[in-house]
Amino acid sequence: MIVRAAAAVVALLALAAGCAPAAGTADEPGPRIALLLPESKTARYEAHDRPAFEERVRRRCPACTTIYSNANQDGARQQAQAEAALTNGADVLVLDPVDSVSSAVIVRAAAAAGVPVITYDRMVLDVEVDFHVTFDNERVGELQAAALLEAIAADDRDDGVIVMLNGAPTDDNARLLITGAHRVLDPADVRIGAEFDIPDWSPDKAQEQMERALATIGRDRVIGVYAANDGIAGGAVAAMKAGGVSPLPPITGQDAELAAIQRILVGEQHMTVYKAIRSQAAVAADAAIALALHGAVPPSLATDTVFNGSAQVPAHILSPAVVTRSTIAGTVIADGLWSAEDICTGRFRAACSDAGISQ
Amino acid sequence: MSVSGATPTAGASKGATALLRGGLGQWSALAALAGIWLTFQALNPRFLSAINLTNLVLQSTALGTIAIGVVLVLMIREIDLSVGAVSGFGAAVVAVLNVKAGWPAAAAIAAGLAVGAAVGGAHGLLVTGLRLPSFVVTLAGLLAWQGALFFVLGETGTVNLQDPAMTALAGTFLSPGVGWALGCVAVAAYAAVVWRRSRARGDHEAGSATGLAVRVLAAAAVGAALVAVFNADRGMPLVAVVFLVLVVLFDGLMTRTAFGRHARAIGSDPDVAARAGIGVDRVRLAIFALTSVLAVTGGIIAASRLLAVNQSSGSTDLMLSAIAAAVIGGTSLFGGRGSIWSALFGSLVIGSVGNGLDLLGVSSSVRFVVTGSVLIIAVALDTFSRRAAASAYE
Repeated sequence: MIVRAAAAVVALLALAAGCAPAAGTADEPGPRIALLLPESKTARYEAHDRPAFEERVRRRCPACTTIYSNANQDGARQQAQAEAALTNGADVLVLDPVDSVSSAVIVRAAAAAGVPVITYDRMVLDVEVDFHVTFDNERVGELQAAALLEAIAADDRDDGVIVMLNGAPTDDNARLLITGAHRVLDPADVRIGAEFDIPDWSPDKAQEQMERALATIGRDRVIGVYAANDGIAGGAVAAMKAGGVSPLPPITGQDAELAAIQRILVGEQHMTVYKAIRSQAAVAADAAIALALHGAVPPSLATDTVFNGSAQVPAHILSPAVVTRSTIAGTVIADGLWSAEDICTGRFRAACSDAGISQ
Repeated sequence: MSVSGATPTAGASKGATALLRGGLGQWSALAALAGIWLTFQALNPRFLSAINLTNLVLQSTALGTIAIGVVLVLMIREIDLSVGAVSGFGAAVVAVLNVKAGWPAAAAIAAGLAVGAAVGGAHGLLVTGLRLPSFVVTLAGLLAWQGALFFVLGETGTVNLQDPAMTALAGTFLSPGVGWALGCVAVAAYAAVVWRRSRARGDHEAGSATGLAVRVLAAAAVGAALVAVFNADRGMPLVAVVFLVLVVLFDGLMTRTAFGRHARAIGSDPDVAARAGIGVDRVRLAIFALTSVLAVTGGIIAASRLLAVNQSSGSTDLMLSAIAAAVIGGTSLFGGRGSIWSALFGSLVIGSVGNGLDLLGVSSSVRFVVTGSVLIIAVALDTFSRRAAASAYE
């Protein structure tokens, strides 16, 4: 019986290993680059960041291998995955941390092993990092807030308040977004009726908070919703539709998720912020390859610096772009993020031709 | 199922039955562990490296500590579904007292453990006083203590530990000399215990002396291998020593004290235990309290390793893994049979699967499926061995 159990376990593991990408194994020569992404609830990581990064590495450094892990929003899991990457002999860690503060423990482990760390999209605070690739997140917050104010003015409603649904309190980017958004909203002539942090950027928690806001503020008095990203916007839209809010007030977003683009087409969401993820992934891949091969990031990439509480980190900061109904074709489609076929399915076909998107 | 020694068994079949009753679960856990390790080593030659084995131990101790509590509660035929939530809640209490209220680490940890005892005591009172099923009580506890975790953490959601005394628990590695000394002390203590036990039984034949020597030598070999592996990397982790001490202490409590005998009697048959004059409710209450204290201990170890407590601390995932670890290690879900050591072996099995699949870069979906399948294999074995043991009595 014991033998049978052991045999069953071995067979099972062999099966599981069959699902493993060959890149993860330890016996291939050449530099190894570990890509540690934080979660899979937000569509961008699996759909865009990972493939773009891996493709760039394959093209620029055919001898390199990418070790990929996704922590599913679990800080302890990400720590274990980073340890696995270091054990696997990673030469560079590209880290998008679950938690901007506690992940300093990962950076210290890498430093102890003499492995450089690039922070990707989210900064790790209070510890020395080698390079940071991100978008100007305060600027994202400003763009969202400005677009929201513009839409509210166009609706010509001055009788209500706006609801703010901010990002995860554990994510440093959420703080930057809040700073940018308040910089625009505070001097403007609008009242913020309620403001919440959404743990884990979780759409279902955003939905709950929006339901609560509608109940306390009154569904007719919400004239606009600041949603920090598209997932949160989706939760807010679901809450308002279920609560009988009609027409929907303007709602912001970020990440240019497919679902958000489709909501924008049919008028359920006002805007999203498109961050050219492919460019971001490409910059991170180039920097990682340079660190792995030459031990330094070329000055052509390190164009900025960011202070993270411990040091001035060399950085590359990209600029975000606003996407509204009229600019979908010129941004996400022109850039190849989504094709017209991706967007214009089923009930969105008519809206596509209305918006001038050719299929 | 009956407690060891309570049922008269013919001498010849005694060994076989004892193996089926108490030992098989652990042996199959060991066989599974060996299978898992060899498979991963074949797939990735870094799996059995000193650094990865040290990481594996660090990754498994929090789970193992919580699993000790699960074994305790399973041994009295109850269940505790709240261990994950309680571990997160207790760790949050410790972190908030230490970081936000400025308490010294020792005081904060003591307060956290006291909170654990109170939580477990409350579960125990509901089970013994109101006769509510422990499944329901601790399911409610899972939700309530998760809420308490969010409440204690407050708006920010994450509390980071910076106090060196808090981070030392999982961040301290003993120097090679200390590691060897500890290994020697452990083997010597084991030899003394084995020798005294055999004297107490009155074994004086040469055969038993040889058996004794073999057991001590085997223990020395295992101990030396462990110390050598740890020393080849960063040194023996303090948290591994703490975990082993907890296992030995609770194993002693359950096998060598009146309290442990009573608890196992309750697990075999609560009615018989009550008729024999055992204070069934008192023992149950104590076991629930101990389980929650161990859960908080595991939570503190996890926090010390992550250097933070956040809203995902002690998620449902952790509770499922802890119960799975106890069962994979050979503790019966049906009560009366189990050993504290199953927490050690079971958590190593679960930890190895997670660690190895991470090394292979397998997605977490596959990890859950594999862990679930290992659990099914373990429970199937549990059921088979129960049947085999039952037929051995006939």
